[in-house]
Amino acid sequence: MAKPPISNQIRTLRFLSGEMTQAELGERVGVTRQTIAAIEQGRYSPTLEAAFRIARVFGKPLEDVFCWEGE
Amino acid sequence: MAYREKLAWLTLAVMLMTYSVYFLMVALWIAPAPPQGAAMLHMLVLFAGVTVVQAVLVAIGAALLAVRARADGEERADERDRAIARRGTHIAYYVLMTGMVLVGLVMPFGEARWKIVNAALLALVLAEATRHAVVVLSYKRGWHG
Repeated sequence: MAKPPISNQIRTLRFLSGEMTQAELGERVGVTRQTIAAIEQGRYSPTLEAAFRIARVFGKPLEDVFCWEGE
Repeated sequence: MAYREKLAWLTLAVMLMTYSVYFLMVALWIAPAPPQGAAMLHMLVLFAGVTVVQAVLVAIGAALLAVRARADGEERADERDRAIARRGTHIAYYVLMTGMVLVGLVMPFGEARWKIVNAALLALVLAEATRHAVVVLSYKRGWHG
């Protein structure tokens, strides 16, 4: 399946948050570790609600976490 | 691998094994001497038996997987699990509809009853197998809802 035109900085932000694990982020967002992994790898686009929850965990605005790369 | 991906793999594998046995038995033993009238009940009892075996195997496997998933906190479905499940059901619906059109609208004009019954059972099995196969593929290749 083609990757969506959306990239994300979740891996970097986890690193900057003291190597937060995918499981920990998933728990705080309300999704499984595998779903966080799928989002990081571009195999799943989260819902708007989950995207906001992820951004809130890192204390960043949405556009600092997710970036539109399409035309 | 996600808990629900493992569950879909398990269900798909067990379904393919058990129902292959049933349809092989139909092809080898029932087709050469097709049952008539009440004797068709034996065929359905055989299918029910295969279904029970399949359900028991899946239940045992699912219980083992659930214990592991509970320990990892992955037992509850999240939004991705639900999106993938919806996709599987959506695609399987068309397989089932196609099967039911053939069984209910085309086959009654020229096929024997035992064939119609088995075609209906095959349509159900194919639709369910499709659902699980789509779930497996969606986890593997990604799905964006």
